[in-house]
Amino acid sequence: MTQAGTTQAGTTQAGTAKATGQAVLLDAVRVVYGTGPGAVTALDGVTLGFGQGTFTAVMGPSGSGKSTLLHCAAGLDRPTSGTVLIGGTDLGPLNEKALTLLRRERVGFVFQEYNLIDALTAEENVALPLRLAGRRPDPAEVRDALAEVGLAHRAGHRPAELSGGERQRVAIARSLISRPAVLFADEPTGALDSVASRAVMELLRGLVDTRGQTVVMVTHDPAAAAYADRVVLLADGRPAGELGRSTAAEIASRMALLEERC
Amino acid sequence: MLSTLPLLRALLRGRWTGLVGSLVALCLGTVILSATALLLTSAGPRVPERYAATPLLVRSPGTAPAGEGLFAENRPWSPETVDSLVGALTSVPGVTAAVPDRAFYAQVVVGGRPAGAHEARGWSTAALAPYRLVAGRPPVRAGEVVLGRTLGLAPGSPVMLLTARGPAPYRVTGLTDGPGPYVSDGEAARLGGGVRVIGVLVEPRADLAGVRAAVGRAVRGAGPGAGAGQVLAGPDRAAAEPAADARTRWIGMQVLTAMALLGGFVSVFLVASTFAFRVNQRRREFGLLRAAGATPRQVRLIVYGEALAVGAVAATAGALLGVAVAPAVGGVLVTAGFEPKSFGVRFTPLPVAAAVAAGIAAGLLGALAASGRAARVRPLEALRDHAAGGTPMTRVRWIAGVVSVAGGLALAVASGSAREDSLVNDVLLAAMALIAGLTLLAPVVLPPLVRAFAWSFSRPAVGMLAGRSAMTAVRRTAATAAPVLLAVGFTVLVTGMVRTTAAAYTVEGAAGGGAAAVLVPDGAPGLSDAALAAAAGSAPLPTTVYDSVHGGRPLAALGDGHLAGDEMTVAEWAARDHGWRKGDVVPLAFEDGRTVRLRIRVVLRDAPAEVVIARDTVRAHDPSALTPEAYVSRPAGMVFPGAKTVSVADRAAGEQAEEDRLVWLFTLLLVGVSAGYAGLAIVNTQVMAASARVRDVAVLRLTGATPRQAIAATAAEAALVAGTGAVLGFAVAVPSLLGMRAGLAQMAGDAVPLVIPWPAVAAVVAACLIIATTSSTVFTLSPFLSMRCRKTRTRESKRSRNWPPTRADA
Repeated sequence: MTQAGTTQAGTTQAGTAKATGQAVLLDAVRVVYGTGPGAVTALDGVTLGFGQGTFTAVMGPSGSGKSTLLHCAAGLDRPTSGTVLIGGTDLGPLNEKALTLLRRERVGFVFQEYNLIDALTAEENVALPLRLAGRRPDPAEVRDALAEVGLAHRAGHRPAELSGGERQRVAIARSLISRPAVLFADEPTGALDSVASRAVMELLRGLVDTRGQTVVMVTHDPAAAAYADRVVLLADGRPAGELGRSTAAEIASRMALLEERC
Repeated sequence: MLSTLPLLRALLRGRWTGLVGSLVALCLGTVILSATALLLTSAGPRVPERYAATPLLVRSPGTAPAGEGLFAENRPWSPETVDSLVGALTSVPGVTAAVPDRAFYAQVVVGGRPAGAHEARGWSTAALAPYRLVAGRPPVRAGEVVLGRTLGLAPGSPVMLLTARGPAPYRVTGLTDGPGPYVSDGEAARLGGGVRVIGVLVEPRADLAGVRAAVGRAVRGAGPGAGAGQVLAGPDRAAAEPAADARTRWIGMQVLTAMALLGGFVSVFLVASTFAFRVNQRRREFGLLRAAGATPRQVRLIVYGEALAVGAVAATAGALLGVAVAPAVGGVLVTAGFEPKSFGVRFTPLPVAAAVAAGIAAGLLGALAASGRAARVRPLEALRDHAAGGTPMTRVRWIAGVVSVAGGLALAVASGSAREDSLVNDVLLAAMALIAGLTLLAPVVLPPLVRAFAWSFSRPAVGMLAGRSAMTAVRRTAATAAPVLLAVGFTVLVTGMVRTTAAAYTVEGAAGGGAAAVLVPDGAPGLSDAALAAAAGSAPLPTTVYDSVHGGRPLAALGDGHLAGDEMTVAEWAARDHGWRKGDVVPLAFEDGRTVRLRIRVVLRDAPAEVVIARDTVRAHDPSALTPEAYVSRPAGMVFPGAKTVSVADRAAGEQAEEDRLVWLFTLLLVGVSAGYAGLAIVNTQVMAASARVRDVAVLRLTGATPRQAIAATAAEAALVAGTGAVLGFAVAVPSLLGMRAGLAQMAGDAVPLVIPWPAVAAVVAACLIIATTSSTVFTLSPFLSMRCRKTRTRESKRSRNWPPTRADA
């Protein structure tokens, strides 16, 4: 992917970004699972923005609602009440198809694992969003995307022939092929060893620095969160403080405090 | 959407193993469809072999069609008309002979049993085929006969001919290459029935078109009653096919239609269950596609695309295979008696193309529900890894399931009053509706049943594991139980219905007289008068009479021993149709072409036939009338030429009845097809389930289970699920059988036994259990036997973080 392409993507998003000031905005988002006395409040009126070109880590103890927050912000899950804006577009009134198209154009995902379709090669996995959008993928474009994550030589391999770290890097290449306004990552290093984790996090950091990519990442790993510009802490479905760019040790001690309080 | 095509190709690549089941099912289904379609289109009337060398046939005028499944011969000419026709035809220039075709029932008795063809003719008719004399001389006097050489009798030897009156002594004068027996023309004229066809032989070098025109003029000028005769030439001579052949072809048509229906249904059923299972196993993949930007419609198209790809390959291969096997199947149908001897396959492209289209359509239809479910997968499901997969029951599924079961039950009960001919097809429809309905409801019905069974052997760890596993993975359990349900339910229902109905007819017949036994034909099409008298029985004699006034319309008639002379009893509906009243004198033509004037003594609402006349009158005018069977006071176990007595109970069980043989054969054929399909489906679902089960077995082994325990747990789960499917199969079949029995008992006016042919049912259940346990064990354990677990690596990683599990069922 060329620098010009990134700039262009940036300028198309500029207007909406200015209108809201944010790439993604959550306003008073509440998510309740179930009804009646057994209902569980996963998010309890969260208002949060993710600025353009920033790298945010969302952290919190188990059950704090961090994954729910990510799913709502990415348009994978619908909040019970409140508003979610991606690039200035309100997701509320969109139907399933419109939401799918919006995600296809504006949003990239990297999950903890199972990111790739076993039957497809790395190259085909990367080209998948383009094909789904009805475009014939340009082989050079796909190869460039794989080269960017350092896997040009693995293009023809199936997921089963790749290591866990390589699979995550293919997933990142795929989520970037459609030049999304924001990249969401849900525990991207959760299933990786420390060496592979570091490679994936350096890759994400590099995307933010060189291309101005907006990244929102949920993690419970302080070492991964240390790559982010901003760490949002969540507890019991509510924001419980923020940190600027911090070391893993600082984040870990803050997390320990938070978990103690719970 | 074109853009999904390359994606589809990529997704299918290397995934064909999961589709092999659907592929084979659709392929087999198309084999059946294309073979039956070819056979159906081939099953037209043929020129009877015995007229093969006769260029022109003059045939008695036809009557209005009798209706579907009813086959009556045209009214025969009167003897006077035959004489005047033969005279007129013989005098046409170019005609060498006009041979009236006259036949009567006669069978050669060899070693105490009737053998060979059923009809005796005059020797002159042998020239129409032509059949030649290969030994001895033709019959010239009464008591002389020429036989087919295949019977192994020598000229000069005495022989017994079984006729409608009883056995009669004859002397063999010669042998022929035709079927025989042939008697002298004088004897044929005396004993034979009416003439419907006159064969016209012409000089070898005669101008056929000219002779034909002259023959037409001669027929029109031959006097009253003869003028309406039809002149048939070339392929039109097929119209002279005997009504019995037309009936055989009609039965064959029923068999083929049922086979095609069943093949189509089972293919759709199998593809539907395979695809449902496949979609369920790929929820994560579909979730991922959705997350990567696929719309629900695109996901739906991917599933349809797979079905289309599988369907196109399978249907093309299947249709070609069907073409290859059609002649062999046709041969089997002729041997079994579903098609007349003259049957042969005609190859035309249209039925084959239709079979390909139907095969593809079956694939798409099967994928219908699965594609909807795939489209409803939410993107977030890419993050989850669950075997159970949410609630399988949607509202549509509930409604469809309940409606199918209710409709099937209603059909089953209604089939108790169905006509004998359409019974099997009615039963088939009922069975398909019930099975489809219960399969739809399986996720609701199965878990409580599995729980009940699992409880009984939950003490050992292996049993507990098997039960828990079957209960948790409801969909997997439902998918693996469905084919067993299909096979067992179908077998019990169809065989039970056919046998119970047969039993009901017997009970109905025996209810009146307190009979000791039933006299049934043995190697013969019916009972002779002599056999009936020897067994001290009396039974009405069926024949056909023709209303001389109303254009010779055929009427079903019975000869009753209690009536005498020129009196008859008429059914109310027949009297209404013909405008008859009590006391009217009506002229009726008989099978020998003679007309008798009979007085209507009484009009009955519930007459056993349209007209009932004196038995002696029937015997005097129909030399081929035979009693189908009779309730007699002699005990079971007596043997006469062409007849024997059996107990009422044995007759009810249906083993002895000659005329039930076709229906039973047909039933077994259908059961065989469905059971074969079910076997395929069982293996298929076990292969698919194995990939999900491999993980559980890995955990089990690491928890300390011996290989033997792992095998036992796998086999136990398969047996549990298959057993539950079998029980459900019975649950489908027994209530509808009971409902049908109630209807039959009401009609028969007595209790009807519920007959379930246990050997057939037991064989099907055993086969299902063996196939299920064997295939599940083999497919689940083969990855371990080959000591390679690479395939399971990615799926293991999440679980292995929680390693080691603290409980066996972790």
